[in-house]
Amino acid sequence: MWSIALKTLVADRGKLLTALVGVVFSIALMNVQGGFFLGLIGKAGLLVDHGQADIWVGHRQMHNVDFPRDIPRRWVNRIRGIPGIARAEPYLLGFTDMTLPSGGFEQVLVVGVDRASLLGNAWNLVKGRPQAILRPQGVILDECEVAKLEYPQMGEIRELGGRRSRIVGMTHGILGFLVTPYVFTTYERAAEYTKKSTDMCSYFLVELEPGADAKQVCAAIRRRSPELDAFPKNTYSWISVNYWMTRTGLGISFGAATLLGLLVGMIIVAQTLYAMVLDRLGEFGTLKAIGATERQICLILLAQAVLMAAVGSLIGLAVVAAIQHFFSTPWALIVIPWWLSLSSCALVLLICLVASLLPYLRIRKVDPMMVLQS
Amino acid sequence: MIADAEYLDDDSQQPALCVRDVHKAYRRGTTVAPVLEGVNLVVKRGECVFLAGPSGSGKTTLLSILGCILSADRGKVRILDQDIDVLNQQQRTTLRLEQIGFVFQRFHLIRGLTALDNVCVPLVLRDAPPRRAECRGMELLETVGLADKASAQPRNLSAGQCQRVALARALAGDPNLILADEPTAALDAANGRQTMKLLRRLTSQEGKTTVVVTHDQRIFQFADRVLRLENGRIVEDPEPVPKTLAAISDG
Repeated sequence: MWSIALKTLVADRGKLLTALVGVVFSIALMNVQGGFFLGLIGKAGLLVDHGQADIWVGHRQMHNVDFPRDIPRRWVNRIRGIPGIARAEPYLLGFTDMTLPSGGFEQVLVVGVDRASLLGNAWNLVKGRPQAILRPQGVILDECEVAKLEYPQMGEIRELGGRRSRIVGMTHGILGFLVTPYVFTTYERAAEYTKKSTDMCSYFLVELEPGADAKQVCAAIRRRSPELDAFPKNTYSWISVNYWMTRTGLGISFGAATLLGLLVGMIIVAQTLYAMVLDRLGEFGTLKAIGATERQICLILLAQAVLMAAVGSLIGLAVVAAIQHFFSTPWALIVIPWWLSLSSCALVLLICLVASLLPYLRIRKVDPMMVLQS
Repeated sequence: MIADAEYLDDDSQQPALCVRDVHKAYRRGTTVAPVLEGVNLVVKRGECVFLAGPSGSGKTTLLSILGCILSADRGKVRILDQDIDVLNQQQRTTLRLEQIGFVFQRFHLIRGLTALDNVCVPLVLRDAPPRRAECRGMELLETVGLADKASAQPRNLSAGQCQRVALARALAGDPNLILADEPTAALDAANGRQTMKLLRRLTSQEGKTTVVVTHDQRIFQFADRVLRLENGRIVEDPEPVPKTLAAISDG
């Protein structure tokens, strides 16, 4: 049955190509749209995902890593003694302005890390070393943000919150969900640049002892300091992502575009399958006259739908890989995890199967008598 | 006409087809157009019967009823020891697949399938193992003289070759009854004659019962009997044509 389905499908190359275009379009749209979405929304949890901490501790009901509410730094001592915690260090985030050579200014988000552990420091450095922030006035920027900051060079002095800073390192691709560039430096200097007290911080970054259970430690932290919230890294990353998803309608707009792509793909596949069937009504009539059962006819259509979905998905994924390779940038990141590709293929398969329903209903009406009347 | 008693009393003489007082009418809205009006027909096993008659006389309708594609409005139809009136749609489909081979006027080969694939279709529908289906298909293509065209697409075959492939397809499932609808109508005289010789040779060799609907008087010589339908009734039921075997051996 598969061979009949495959050979008759391939025989009609023009229509097969049209249907494949529909499938490829759906796969590409779902993956690229989804990839852009994940790339964009993933930036919301960027600091958490790369911050090297197992647990993030902050003010109660903290909901976005970039918008913390400050907590007293001394509270870090309350949690350092909790069993399972290997290390807990303060972490400071705050907005300030960088003065530009042209006389203008650009708002930046300063990240202050503990100078002993460098927990939560910049990663993916392309110039300089992470430890360079320990040098006097040392700050690390991202090279993708240099245009905004009027092209600062390594070693160049810039004013941050009216204080001197020196560019001692450059990262690649640390672009947050906000359009505000990140500037990494030490905790004390960050407090200075953001005009905050060194008695306050934004988070405590916690490293666990090997084998410690993150959820249990979080519960223990909450019990000991009810004013604080503590989440495992992945949870807080998701909370930050969810903040933007629920407050901006981002998910809905991307989802709607993806749904539209699916719908267009489904219509193309359904229309093409239907047109193919209309062209071949006589042949289906012949099969019925010869003795093909409704089930066998249905199987032929389903097999064709599966073949179209499989071939179209493979081509589509190749197209997606090419798009990702050539068009993904730190500014517009296309992140396509395996589950997205797999889900898109499964969804397209489902759509092709549903799309084959329409022609099947048409074939059901085919009277084998028609082949005796020609 | 062979009397009912003649076959009912003797098992060895059980006919392949027995049609008694069959009526069929087509309804379009409130209009009822009778097509068959009390047809009686008995065809013996291994016999080749031609149904002739003018257009609209009911030949194709009768063939469709014999092929379990249409149901009679009234009357009894017995095919290969089965009363088809009592069969449901699924059982009729199975009977068609297992016991009946069709040869159509326009061949109705399936595009995209090679000649061999087309021959194998009834076997594929019966879930035969691919290797066995292929062997049987090749064997039949050799029989109809088209072994060298096994991988040819229908569009690359002549009309005569297409009809020979269709003939091979009709025989692929080793059916006991062959129904042919104007098998020579789309062929020239030479191809038509060749196809009929082949049909008769193959059906005679294997003892198949054959019913052929045709207008083509040039091929009447291949029939054991020629029945004439007019206005929904069989008006002639002549004695078997004795020259048939001579005509076959002539080929």
